[in-house]
Parts: sequence; C-alpha cells; structure tokens
Amino acid sequence: MADPASSDTLAVELRNVDKAFYGVKANDHVSFRLARGEVHALLGENGAGKSTLCSILAGLYRPDAGEMLFEGEPATFKSPKDALAAGVGMVYQHFRLVPNLTVAENFALGHPDIGLRIDQKELHRSAEELGEKYGLPVDPAARIWQLSVGEQQRVEILKLLYRNAKILILDEPTAVLTPQESQALFKTMRQMAQEGRSVIFVSHKLHEVKQVSDQVTVLRGGKTVGGVATADAEPKDLARMMVGRDLELPVRDAQTDYGPVVLSVDGIRVPGDRGLEAVRGVTFELRAGEVIGIAGVSGNGQRELAYGLVGLRTPTGGTVTLEGVDVTTSSVLDHIHKGFSYVPQNRLGMGLAPGLTTEENLALKAFRRHPFSKGRRLVASAFRDEGARQIEQYDIRGVRPGLPIRLLSGGNLQKALVAREVELEPKVLIARSPTRGLDVGATEAVRNQVLAQRSRGAGVLLISEDLDELLALADRILVLYEGEVVGEMPTEEATAERLGLLMAGQRDEARS
Amino acid sequence: MTTRRFIVEPRGLASPQLTLLVPVASVIAALVVGGVFLLLTGENPLSVYAKMVDAAFGSSRGVSETLISATPLILTGVAAAVAFKMLVWNIGAEGQFLMGAVFAAGVAIWLGDGAPPAVALPIMIIAGGLGGAVWAAGSAIPRVYMGTNEIITTLMLNFIALNFMNYLIFGSGSPWRDPAVSTFPQGRPVPEGARLPEFFNRLDIGIFVAIALAAVAWYLIGKTRWGFAVRIVGDSAETAHYSGIGVNQKILSVFLLSGAFAGFAGGLFVSGPVGALDPRSLDLGLGFTGIIVAALARLNPLAVIPVAVLMGALNNAGPSLQSIGVPTATVTMLQGAILIFAVAGEFFIGNRLRRPDRASSPVPEGAEAA
Repeated sequence: MADPASSDTLAVELRNVDKAFYGVKANDHVSFRLARGEVHALLGENGAGKSTLCSILAGLYRPDAGEMLFEGEPATFKSPKDALAAGVGMVYQHFRLVPNLTVAENFALGHPDIGLRIDQKELHRSAEELGEKYGLPVDPAARIWQLSVGEQQRVEILKLLYRNAKILILDEPTAVLTPQESQALFKTMRQMAQEGRSVIFVSHKLHEVKQVSDQVTVLRGGKTVGGVATADAEPKDLARMMVGRDLELPVRDAQTDYGPVVLSVDGIRVPGDRGLEAVRGVTFELRAGEVIGIAGVSGNGQRELAYGLVGLRTPTGGTVTLEGVDVTTSSVLDHIHKGFSYVPQNRLGMGLAPGLTTEENLALKAFRRHPFSKGRRLVASAFRDEGARQIEQYDIRGVRPGLPIRLLSGGNLQKALVAREVELEPKVLIARSPTRGLDVGATEAVRNQVLAQRSRGAGVLLISEDLDELLALADRILVLYEGEVVGEMPTEEATAERLGLLMAGQRDEARS
Repeated sequence: MTTRRFIVEPRGLASPQLTLLVPVASVIAALVVGGVFLLLTGENPLSVYAKMVDAAFGSSRGVSETLISATPLILTGVAAAVAFKMLVWNIGAEGQFLMGAVFAAGVAIWLGDGAPPAVALPIMIIAGGLGGAVWAAGSAIPRVYMGTNEIITTLMLNFIALNFMNYLIFGSGSPWRDPAVSTFPQGRPVPEGARLPEFFNRLDIGIFVAIALAAVAWYLIGKTRWGFAVRIVGDSAETAHYSGIGVNQKILSVFLLSGAFAGFAGGLFVSGPVGALDPRSLDLGLGFTGIIVAALARLNPLAVIPVAVLMGALNNAGPSLQSIGVPTATVTMLQGAILIFAVAGEFFIGNRLRRPDRASSPVPEGAEAA
C-alpha cells in the first residue's frame, strides 16, 4: 500500500470542495486524498455526498469552491471527456451503455483514437484480451441488452480499462451483484490496484469495505468525517462515523406462532415484457404473521411475480387464492379492496403521483371511500385532516401545502408510500426493495412498518435483492432464479453463501 | 471557479403571485415584440394599440362585441384545458366546434318553428356538445384502444369537419342550406325559437352559459372523485393503473368531455350571433385560439374566462385596424406571439435563474441534494 502522506504518490487530492444543489450543500468543505495503487472506500449514507464527490472527480460536476489537484497539479475538468482524457473514469450506478450496440461498439463510443472507421476485429481482440487479463470475461459481439446486469457492469469497467484509466470510480458496484459476483469483482479491484491504478469504491456495506479497501473516507451530511486505514478501523467504529450514532436496525423477533394461510400461490405463471414467461410456476403459502423473503438477482421474475399477485398483470397459469377466494384474474381495484397492499420498487414511477401533493398521494387508493369522498364528491377537509395525521404519525418531513410530492427526499417519499399502504390495513403486504436507496433513519422506519404489519397479523412478502435485509426481516426465504423457486429455507438455515449460490442458478441439493 | 453567469435551478413551489405574473408578462412581451414589427412597418405601435383597446373596450358596442367573441373561446379554451391537463393532446377543438355547430343547426332546423325556446335552446346546446363529443370519439377511440397519436388524428379530423360543413352548404342541397337564396349559397337561418335572447346590444345569454359550463368543468376536475382519478391519470398513467383506476376509460371520458365543450361552443355560436350554419362566420379558427387561451390560463378552467375575454378583445379589435391601414393579420401575429411567450414562461414557473455566488433562497426541507 502506498503511503498516503507523501504528495508525489497522490493520484488526486480534493481540498475544501463545496458543491451545492438548490441551495443545499451536497459537499461542504470536503477533502479527499487518493493514493496511487490503493483501493479507497468512500463510505456514507444516502445523501452524504458520495455521488457528488465522485461526479466532481469524474468531471460531471464542477465544484462551486475548493481545489482539485491531479497528480500534484491543479486541475479543472470541464466535462467527463476531460476527466477521461486525464485518466479518471467512473462506473455509474445506472450504466452508460447503448443497449442496441455490441460490447465492442460500446468500447469505441467516444474513444478519441477511433474515428469514423471502426476496426471491429481489433476491438474484439482487445476486449477479449482485457477481459481475460482482469477476470472480466465478456463476449465482444454480444449486444448490451442481451447481457445480465453483472455482465454490463464488466463492460463498463473494461471500457475504462480500454481507455487506460488510472483512476476508476465504482459507484455502489455491488448493489446489483450476487455475493459471488462481488467476490470476483473484489479480485479485479485488487489486481487493478496492484498495477498502480487507484480504485474508488463507493459503498455503504461495511463488510465489503473492510474486505477490499486499503483506506476509508467517511462522509456524513456532505462533510468529511474522517479518513482511516481500513486495517485500523473496526466496522462498529465506521458505522458510528457514518451515521453519527450507534446503529441498531430493527430485526424480527423469533416467532413460530403463525396464523392461518392468507395467501396461497399455486403454480403461477406470469408473462414478462417481451411476452416470454418471466414467472414459471411459482408455488408457496403465506401465513398470517409471517414474512416470506424472496431473494434473487434483479430481473429473475421478481417484478412480474409482484405484478401477477396484485392484479397488475394477469397470470397465464396457476392460481392465487386469498383466504380461500380465487383472485387470480381479479382487477387491480379488486385486489386493493380485498386486502392487497403493494409497495412497488419504483416509487415515483408507480407508487406515487409525482405532481400531486403529499396529502393527495396519501389518499391515492382510499379516495373512493369515506372519509375522502361523499358520494361522488371529494371531501377536502378529509384530505387535509387525514393527511396531517399521517404526515405526523409516519414522520414524513418536508411537506408544505401545495408542494408536489416529488420534491420530498427519497426517504420521505418512501415513508409516505408505506404509510398509505399500511393504512389500508392489508391482509397481504407485498413490498419490493422497500429500503433501497434510503438512509438509515428511513430504513429503520420502513423496516419497523413491515414488522408492525407482521405483528398485526398480515402476511408479508418481501421481495428484495438486499440479503442483509431479508436475513433480518424474513421468517422464510425463497430464492427466485429465472422465474422459478430454486431454493427455500427457514431464515435460521440461510447464509449469504448458500443464498448466493442459489441466486446464481445452482440448485440447492438440500431442498427436499 | 465556475464561469457561468447564471445558474438555472428548479424552483420548489411557485408562488401564486408568480403564476399570475408569468402570463401577464407573456402578454406584455408579445405586445413589445408586436410593437417592433409595427415600428418596422412604419406604424406607431402605441397608437395602434390604443386603437385596439378603444375598439375592444371603448364603447358599449365594443364591449358587447368583445364578449360575443369571448363566448366560444371560453368553451374551446376549457376544451383544450381539460384535455391537456390529462396529457390528451386534443388539438381538434376546431373540428369539434364545427361539428357541434352542424349538429346544433341540424336539430334546430329539424325541430322547426313550432318548438318553444325553453325546449329548443337546451336541446340545441346539448346537440352541439354531442356533435363535438362524437367528433372527438373519432380520435379518442383509436387512441385508447389502438394507441394512435391523437395529435395527428384530431388535426386531420379538423379538415374533414371543415370540408363536411362546406359540403353541406356549398356542395349539396342539404337541409342546412338556405333554399331561399340561390345566388350565393348560405346556411338556412335557425328558427327564431332557437335563437338565444340578446340583452346587451347583440350580446346574448350564451356568455352566461359558457361561464357556467367553465365552472362545471372546474368543479368536475377539482372537486369530484372522478376528477381526482383524472388528475392521477394525467400525472402518471402508471401510478393510476397501480391505484386501481381504469386508465383507458378515464382518457376516453376526458377526451369526449373535451370534444363536448368545443361542441357546446359551436352550438352556442349557431344559436347566438350567427343564427345559421354559415361557413364564413364559423371558420374563424376559434378552436385553435382556444389552445392559446388554455395555455395562457395555465389549464385552469376558471382562469380561461378572463383570458378568453382578452383574446376576444384582440379578435374584435382586428377589423378596426384596417381603418387605419394596418392589416388584420397583426392580431393573429400577436396571438401567436402570446402563445410562444406563455409556453416559454412556463419554464420560469418551474425554474429560476440565480447568480452563482449569491446565496439562493431556501428550498423545502428534505429536498434531495444530489
């Protein structure tokens, strides 16, 4: 590991950088020193300023104030192109690839040495060589849309290596990977560091940071809280630096005393967007007071399973029964009235009407009934009073009269969405990645709501890619792979390794 | 570090004053631009504008003519406002207006002289609405069930409606054509009982009907369960579907309602100032002007009323300009400029400019930073 104190080994240094959005300081006097040949973890909650800091380094944003030194010299990146020319590249959480082009063609995009004519052969060869060298195998002729999320990420990293980036910024790369894929990525990261490249690894998962990084910088509320050598830092200390207090996320209590079966799913089949079957015969029974976790890498039928269960997409086979009543082909409205609540993954795209106010969004499903309407007329006072009560009870912050809900922060959006769904007092609550992208406070609130529904006697189906969350909340975990349940176990018997293998498609031998 | 002179940033919530200021500023900006053109043509803009104000509001006859012009614009404005609010791009108010006129005139002629006004007038206005809705259905049904682009279908149906009306009068011996006049074909006058009573010069009670209908639209959208569902669909169809709302059915009903409002305007125009299916009096682009009205009123059905009066005044002032040698088309140009500025002004309702170094005013607590 390089000595971080010596300035000639520094790849990049930020001094007192400020960056504000809409008057909110996303980076407030942030300082950051990145040595050559190190894996440097950037740790912090959502909204702590990690992405802003990375985007400044990658040339996407320009700081309002402060200095940036690049290999000891003051530097200003006017655009990501500038940054890349200097050797700084970033893999964003949302990939910057053209889906209809091949892997090799994506390599060529924006490359300064490649003009109108593209030497496909040469590109294919380089892509293959690089992939082999760094343990990132990928087919250069494949089109991006044919690749899994993990493979697309490899393409992004290879693209940067092809441009010979000296500093690689990876923004929460493990969020879309199985534990095994993450391990492979860590190996690549170490290899790149050994060659003298610097890797910035953004994460909020402490065990990953502990495992792969040499150095950690912790951000909180837009400020640098501290930088330490990873070897000297205990996960508990890092957590405290990150959150500012001791952290205990809610975990379910052991309970074996479930009620009767509320939801019975038998061989359900649901088509995907392209018409192919995305859910291929899923069967399970959900009891009152039970949380079933559905694990799986994104894109293995989770979305379609949820759609099929709540009426958003009619199953083409199998049955769904709620307390003995067949609801397989019922409408969305029927499902709502019969006691299904659904927290979709896409908050502003599906769960909330972004341009309407918080109060209106809280009434989005209940508006048809007392107290929100009287006959065909809306009752304005009910919107106001019920809204005020729920905003207070669920601690939704930032609400102002007439303010469109989309202007609330992610945590508050999710609190409002969950509030509305649990206020319906559902028999079955289906939630997809309900804490994804939330800060610790909001995560805590949402988890508590999920557990409160479990205690209330609702059956909860928690569909999530976050294994830690599943292990903390679920009573039983089912693993979904290519639309089928490939493994099922009580949470007590589940480990990240076992789940990870199943998520990657390996059948569980132990399953009876 | 940064060299930008101004930063554009989204404004959390626009104040009511600002939402009022922007349309007013749009009109003023359009007048300034129009003034430059008038200057270039050698006219004194101030005296031209003074002439226009005088023609529109300077006499009791001017005021009544302005309000006559405003009456159909209120309804075509509402037609555009309710549709656009739901992202239904019905730009076919023109055709729906004409078909409303065809239906209303047809019903009145069919009822004949015997029907008392208390029967004939409501039936006629309803027939107008029906005509507009039927014409809108021609775009609405393909949009909802086959996903066709309603901008194109509504626009095309405008031409069909116009030529259909022309055919009824110029091309055939239809009942709409006046048999008494053979030299130049024109519409058969509707019976006296089907004419709206006038109370102020030529101004008839149609203006009250239009205002009442605008209020009904405002109530339907803002205060009813149906309207709430419509607003959810307009904000996000995906979200509406998720919350159990029949999205297609809502789009269809709003589309038809929009057509009905344009059709009401046609019905009122025939039973009011025109008194016949007269192509020369009906083909004035009132449906298209309704789009400008709706945009300037920021799609609020009540705000449509004063804006329609303003546009009515401009329309009314047009012919008076000819007496001082300024082309009537000046008015059309001003209306176009107003639309451009109103649409551009929307940007400033949603965003603001500020100098980078100056501290900006606070945003809502909890607003996302990155």
